[in-house]
Amino acid sequence: MAAFASAPGAVRGRAAVVAVGNTLQGELPGMSADEIGVEALRVTLQQSGIQKSQIDGLITCKSYGGFGIDTEIGRLAGLNPAYSATLDYGTCNFSLHLAVAAIEAGLASVIAIVYGTNQRSAGNRFTLPLGRQDDASVYGFLNVAGVAGMAFQRHKKLYGTTEADLGEIAVSQRKYAIDNELAIFRKPLSIDDYLAEPYLIEPLRRADICMISDGGACLIVASADKAAELTGTPVHVMGIAQQTGLRDRQNADQWMRPWIEQVAERIYPAAGIDRADVQALYIQDPTSVWVMQMLEWYGFAPFGGVGDAFRSGAVGFGGKLPLNTNGGQLSEAYMWGFLHLVEMIRQLRGEAGARQLEPFRVAQYCSTYGMLKAASTIFSLDRS
Amino acid sequence: MSAETARAEVSTQTPYLPTEDDTRFWQSAAEGHLLFQKCDQCSYIRWPAAGVCPECLSRASTWLEVDGVGTLWSNVTYRRAYAASLKEQVPYPVGLVELDCGVRLLTRLVDLPHEGAEVGMALTVDYREVGDHGVVPVFGPAKTVLPAVPLV
Ligand SMILES: [Zn+2]
Repeated sequence: MAAFASAPGAVRGRAAVVAVGNTLQGELPGMSADEIGVEALRVTLQQSGIQKSQIDGLITCKSYGGFGIDTEIGRLAGLNPAYSATLDYGTCNFSLHLAVAAIEAGLASVIAIVYGTNQRSAGNRFTLPLGRQDDASVYGFLNVAGVAGMAFQRHKKLYGTTEADLGEIAVSQRKYAIDNELAIFRKPLSIDDYLAEPYLIEPLRRADICMISDGGACLIVASADKAAELTGTPVHVMGIAQQTGLRDRQNADQWMRPWIEQVAERIYPAAGIDRADVQALYIQDPTSVWVMQMLEWYGFAPFGGVGDAFRSGAVGFGGKLPLNTNGGQLSEAYMWGFLHLVEMIRQLRGEAGARQLEPFRVAQYCSTYGMLKAASTIFSLDRS
Repeated sequence: MSAETARAEVSTQTPYLPTEDDTRFWQSAAEGHLLFQKCDQCSYIRWPAAGVCPECLSRASTWLEVDGVGTLWSNVTYRRAYAASLKEQVPYPVGLVELDCGVRLLTRLVDLPHEGAEVGMALTVDYREVGDHGVVPVFGPAKTVLPAVPLV
């Protein structure tokens, strides 16, 4: 054991994911965002055998256009849960951590986390400046890839990273996506293909940026007692950690997102494991640059060493540490990170079909909310 | 649609409308001056403009002209127009400049050498028209001021 169970964020199996589900991804015309979310809930209940009446908590995540509010989803899904809440920015880990906190406080014991979006059909072209609408609008600094592109351009200068190094991320994830029927991009992508793509926001290319999608996802999180009643294969939440950088550009090097390091320092003691115990890794990826940064801050690759980490087989497709085995948002679909967790739970339970890895028991999920917050969770099939 | 989302959409399709907080910044810039709020209590220089000092939470501040010099934190070049109003501007370079006064400011880069911008390069402010926004601060390579040579 790397730390005592009293470490901050040491959940140690007092909450577990008991079911996951998703809708199709891509274009789902004719359904509202909230209907897509409820469809994900329906599928998840049906596949898990959990009854709607057993749900006593609802946590939703606001989606493009202002949809996804708990009061609306609750009405549409016919739920009167003991507890409900909405996060503006679920990005999965944040919604999950809120569910864990509500369970720890005894506000609810079986919580459905529901996300649905029709942003593709509704015409979100991902053109909004992130955060404040000030100088970014004046200078045309739009899309998260603008920020990520600047972070990568500086990284190139500081560490000698090349575009071919960065390309390894999209190339590895595409190899997984080829076996994923849900994925929007399944055409093979080599490093040469990657480098031949034109820049969208130089130094980033199409394959570095996620694909907007309609779709929904659902997770059901339960207290340890309820989890044991609801499923034979709960995936235990062992540790959670978060850190914000809310001061934004008042912070130095904000877009290198140095506050991720504080999550990295907390998450392994929280879970009571060492980084080397992680057997599969999931990193939320609106852009490939975010994957590069998190691999470095969490210590899975040295700074400037991400390209080598893939080429040497340390991480990625066919490597020692599998990474984003669904293809991630770069190849599968942009679902604010929810599908990473759906995939990870299925992999841990041996339900990942053509993409199934060798059996493993411990996985980590790392995500961020844009340039402002970071979070991580460690899961295990074993409570201790 | 939430008010926040509505505002965000408007901001990319029409010229950015200054807020009560930052009107002074844009108006001064249009006249060739770079001004920020300096906290009357703790001297912190603030950007984005706001009604409160993020260091000491005081509301008292004075607009102060600063030297328009700094270094390039990083840069990108937009080759795709992510809004209709940008179609005639692509490709265009955007940089984040770290001003000597401590403020980090987004900007357009101008008058770059053939090899382009370089992270860490020294920059000096200039004032140019950008899109529909009128004259705004932009930054280009620092101008080397040669020491005066006495006439013989
Ligand atoms: Zn102050």
